[in-house]
Amino acid sequence: MRLLLVEDEDLLRAQLVKALEDNDYIVDSVQDGELGLFQANEFAYDAAIIDLGLPKINGIDLIKAIRAEGKVFPILILTARDKWTDKVEGLDAGADDYVVKPFQIEEIKARLNALLRRAAGFAKPSLDFAHLSLDTSAKKLMVSDNQVELTAYEYKVLEYLMLHPGQVVSKMELTEHLYEQDYDRDSNVLEVFVRRLRQKLDPEESLKPIDTVRGQGYRFNVPPN
Amino acid sequence: MSHQTNSQTKYSLQHRLVLAFGILLILFLGLTGLVLNQAFQESIAASVEERLQLQVYAVLGVAEPDTDMRFFVPDLEEARFSQIDSGLYAFIFNQQANEVWRSPSAVNMNPMDLNMAGPDITPGQMIYGSAQTEEQGPMSFASYGTYWSGLDQEFSFVVMESVAPTDAEINEFQSNLRLWLGGLAIFLSLAQFALLRWSMTPLKRLAQDLAEIEAGNKEQLGEDYPSELHNLSNNMNMLIQSERQRQTKYRTTLGDLAHSLKTPLAVISGVVQQDRKLDKKDMVDVSEQVDRMNQIVSYQLNRATKTSQSKMLASPVLINPVVEKICGALNKVYLDKKVHLEVSVSEKATFYGEASDLTELLGNLMDNAYKYCQQQVHIRIQDSDKSLQIEIDDDGLGIAEQDRHWVLERGARADSRESGQGIGLAVALDIISSYGGELKVESSALGGASFLVTLKAA
Repeated sequence: MRLLLVEDEDLLRAQLVKALEDNDYIVDSVQDGELGLFQANEFAYDAAIIDLGLPKINGIDLIKAIRAEGKVFPILILTARDKWTDKVEGLDAGADDYVVKPFQIEEIKARLNALLRRAAGFAKPSLDFAHLSLDTSAKKLMVSDNQVELTAYEYKVLEYLMLHPGQVVSKMELTEHLYEQDYDRDSNVLEVFVRRLRQKLDPEESLKPIDTVRGQGYRFNVPPN
Repeated sequence: MSHQTNSQTKYSLQHRLVLAFGILLILFLGLTGLVLNQAFQESIAASVEERLQLQVYAVLGVAEPDTDMRFFVPDLEEARFSQIDSGLYAFIFNQQANEVWRSPSAVNMNPMDLNMAGPDITPGQMIYGSAQTEEQGPMSFASYGTYWSGLDQEFSFVVMESVAPTDAEINEFQSNLRLWLGGLAIFLSLAQFALLRWSMTPLKRLAQDLAEIEAGNKEQLGEDYPSELHNLSNNMNMLIQSERQRQTKYRTTLGDLAHSLKTPLAVISGVVQQDRKLDKKDMVDVSEQVDRMNQIVSYQLNRATKTSQSKMLASPVLINPVVEKICGALNKVYLDKKVHLEVSVSEKATFYGEASDLTELLGNLMDNAYKYCQQQVHIRIQDSDKSLQIEIDDDGLGIAEQDRHWVLERGARADSRESGQGIGLAVALDIISSYGGELKVESSALGGASFLVTLKAA
């Protein structure tokens, strides 16, 4: 999952980047609204965390501008102003949730997780498809009620595919959302992850949950429960 | 000092003007009446004297003495001399004050009365006077002394006239005068009243405009005041505007202060959480302190930004759109909870105060309802002439009766199952009390808590 973080306070930004990266998110962080808008327009993000008090373009205007560009990824507001007028204004501008400073990192993670899930249409923290169940808060995969161990990258790929069920996800898109920008985008690596995932999800090849769409990418083809 | 203020405020401008003008009116009309009356009486008296003098000359012109010192007076032109008790009488007295002739009209006159009319009088002198007679009441008389050389005798010729007709004339004049002056007084009073009203209109309008601003129906005073009030209205507009700006700036500054205090708190909190060298207890301690500091900052800044004294500059806020916005926001935040919300707000329900206070009040109470409900939240807002009632019900666990009083205490939370700053209710309470309202906690029909806010209508 690739996140955009716009926060002007250097220390706080560094803390958040570290905490989120520890949680296997790919984080692009910038310190002002102008850069935030540039990043949001240039790259495909799964979610954004935006501080409301930003230099150059303030948070509210940044959110409005992002929405005006037609971007629908969920936006979490960070705000020091805990007045309802500010919260309502932010949510009204197009944000989806808010966290008031100071906050517990855990709270940010939980809210973010919920937003990502919700954006994909899942109401519960677990993504359930037939006998497959991915717990997004505990980051665990259950296949027919048995826990299956996944590497961090396998988890990321599966989570991304499950959050876009029925959609063709190109290798390009996957690498964009799952890797750092300077990562060597060798698509063979992805093929290896997908092959391993298929084995772990469906050892008997009865369900075949991940299709390969020739020349286009992958598709998670099991309808959600 | 207080006495002075009393007398300063006791009389309105209109009262002062009415009083002053009224006194002037009474003085002016009263004096006019006196002067006119005096002048008229004097002119009447002068004309009476002139008339008497003419009659004296008339008698003198035709009187012929006979040998026994009596007089013969042929018919006089004036008919009243020959008519008994006509009110006009003529007498001639000799030197010894004995009557030597009287006009036929005076046959009934008591000779006693006439003594006064025959004083010693030097020849050629005309004197005037008045006398009381038994038969004819008060009389005016003119007496002329003359020396009859043929008889070597002095005589006095006296003409008396009843004053009744002149009195009647004077009376009539006086009553006419009263009528006219009275009419004038009424007319002038009405004119004064109308003029006052007319010239007071701009002041009244100013007061009304200020009341409208106070009630929030107007932003500022109009431009169309008379030149004398123009400066005042301009200055007041500037004052209102600068006060509004000051408030906005104040809030922005406090908002910035919150921002600049809380961001470092967030950093501290982050450092503590990510520092693996800290032991668990230290981490909890620091986190608690950070949390406390945050609560204090939030609560005090909230209190400070809340408007209290200058309700006068507030505009009326339609409640419905605010409720809709907050519901929209909360529905986003609590999307997973799939809260079933029922809202009943009358279209025109209006809050008189700062929009941000209303948002804060509703935001905090509704956030609590969303947070603690199972599935249902009901919001009912009714406004009448007297009060505005906001009722927010949920179907959560509710608040036990014995806990309700301290739930309402500042910053208290009935339980700790939800993380949160716990100042929402305290902030709401503060706002309610600053608007002179009250908050009650009851059991809701839905099974949970019911928060009932009653605010006085503007």
